[in-house]
Amino acid sequence: MSATATTQVFPSFAEVYQGLAGQIGMLRQMAPQPTKTEQKRLQGAVDTLIADTNADEAVWLESCIHCGQCTTACHYFQSMQDAKYAPMRKMDLYRRVYQREISPMRWWHRLVTKPVKLSDFEEAKELIYDSCTECGRCTMVCPMGIDTASLVHHMRSAMVAAELVPPELAALRMEQKHQGTVFGSSPDKLKEMIDTIRAQAGVEIPLDKESAEVMVLSSAVDLVANGNGLLATAKIMNHLGVDWTICSDGFESANFGLLSGDMTLWKQQADPIVAAAQRVKAKTVVIAECGHAYPALRWNPMLRSGELPFQMMYMSEFLGKQAKAGKLRLKPLEQKVTFHDPCKTGRRGGAFEEPRAVLKAMGADLVEMPNNKEYNWCCGGGAGIFLLQDATELRDQSFKIKIREVNETGAESVVVSCASCRLNFESGRQKNNWDKRVESLVELTAAHLIDDDASAAAASKTGAAQ
Amino acid sequence: MTLLDFARGPAIHASLIILVAGILLRLVGVLMLTRGADLSRPRDAFGNFKGYRTVLSRAWPASEFNAATVYQTVMAYIFHIATLLVVVGIVPHIEFITSLTGVSWPGLPNFIGVALGTIALVSLLALIARRLMHPAIYNSTVGDYVTWIIVALPLVTGLMAFAHVGLRYETMLALHILSSALLFAYLPFSKLMHAFWFVFSRAQSGLAYAHKGVRI
Repeated sequence: MSATATTQVFPSFAEVYQGLAGQIGMLRQMAPQPTKTEQKRLQGAVDTLIADTNADEAVWLESCIHCGQCTTACHYFQSMQDAKYAPMRKMDLYRRVYQREISPMRWWHRLVTKPVKLSDFEEAKELIYDSCTECGRCTMVCPMGIDTASLVHHMRSAMVAAELVPPELAALRMEQKHQGTVFGSSPDKLKEMIDTIRAQAGVEIPLDKESAEVMVLSSAVDLVANGNGLLATAKIMNHLGVDWTICSDGFESANFGLLSGDMTLWKQQADPIVAAAQRVKAKTVVIAECGHAYPALRWNPMLRSGELPFQMMYMSEFLGKQAKAGKLRLKPLEQKVTFHDPCKTGRRGGAFEEPRAVLKAMGADLVEMPNNKEYNWCCGGGAGIFLLQDATELRDQSFKIKIREVNETGAESVVVSCASCRLNFESGRQKNNWDKRVESLVELTAAHLIDDDASAAAASKTGAAQ
Repeated sequence: MTLLDFARGPAIHASLIILVAGILLRLVGVLMLTRGADLSRPRDAFGNFKGYRTVLSRAWPASEFNAATVYQTVMAYIFHIATLLVVVGIVPHIEFITSLTGVSWPGLPNFIGVALGTIALVSLLALIARRLMHPAIYNSTVGDYVTWIIVALPLVTGLMAFAHVGLRYETMLALHILSSALLFAYLPFSKLMHAFWFVFSRAQSGLAYAHKGVRI
């Protein structure tokens, strides 16, 4: 279906989605069982929340007035109309712990409330994982401005301590923790993929250069399923003529530490990337189209990025900056398209203008959805939820909002810039026989590169190239 | 000591002490917690301060949310403004404040006071009506209903005392003052503390998002 999948080297994204869905189905059997006693799991969860609670969290937990505004902003509530999916409910358990352990009124709450039990955390699991993509749309309407998404993230950390991570995320978390891979995306797999791309597409990927200005990250989706993503990235980097590399000891964007809430694993994954970038003296690290990798690296409050000698940017930001500088020579995209802002790079990341600049550089007729940029509706697949079998109905129902929004634009294609969003869109497209094309920004860009001078001249005459 | 003397004297004074002490306890107890630092590099080196505008801009929901929020927002505004005007605008209230502080200002004509009190009560009813009609949207707790009753009581008793309806005037007035005392004493320990939290809560989120170059 995808116009960008014209190359025959790798399967189309529709096939990628089907293959990956099969692999995801097997994750449930691989999930680890709890190892600690119930008492220790509960204590661990409570201790994690106590450690994570600063004044910010306390103020947010204190501020909710149950006014109900957030419920209408949440795609899961909107599509299910079930009280339990109201964003405000997602912090109820956190608030109970806060009130008994930290609040200045804790002596009172200890008198009048029952202690929190492990079963309370078990019940909250659906709210903390299945029905919250941490997209932050509820914050946009909350009259108190409560950042529910960050509270949910702390709850996920508590769930890790309580050994209540959903099986799919738990399995991938254990794989990344012990093998350092996601779906088996090892350095060997990376090398194999690079060799395939060189042999079959004739595109060179400079692996493990000693120094490079630009260090590019990849992601598990690229390596084990969608080779077109990495191929497209390489074509663009080579087209730009930048001094770039991929480091086999720090290439994985995906971070199942962040997704599950395990911040020790987050660090274990983030540190080698930072070390590799420093070693190759990179000035720029480009994060692959993997939405949550952006908050995992660029925006992680624990990563002292202000002091690092390089800047980190998302693929869409990098492409946008190149497009704005006129360095990308692009064939026209004679199509009406709309752009879906992934929550992690949009509302919770601020990369709004750059992806649009790329589409404009292609001369695309870009039509915005009724709710766009900061107000964009989440596709329903972020924060690991695309992987969760228990969240299937939530995802499928909430995706109908997205279908409606995209249909209203009258666009032929919707462009996304996040592997999770793309997989979720592909799933929604297939399940609903939706007549839209789903494109990835990086693959769309690569498919429209002008690499010979003759067509460059022709394109510049039509004014499509920058 | 009559009921009215008790209400006007020890009851209201004790409630005001609880009000002030309670607010301080909760504000200081929360705000003295450590602040987590965001060590990531801001999108714009001098852009974070822009986050403070959320404190004011969030006073009205964005147009994207109009259809879903306009009833609640309009009713809440009517309630807050009418109540505030009644609290500081009618002559008996001003006299009470003057007795405590010595400060005084001209009061509103009686008919306006009654009109405002009625508007406040009607908007409060309009808010609870929607809360009851859409249980899924509100997820109400016992605390939400208790708070509603404690807020409504001074309005109801005040209007009744003024209109000489119900019990003897002195008794109604005493009940009005006692219910106000209950409200004062209850405020610091309830969601009514949002009167203070909203500034901090909005500012925190505004700053966190401004750090990433996002205007919320």
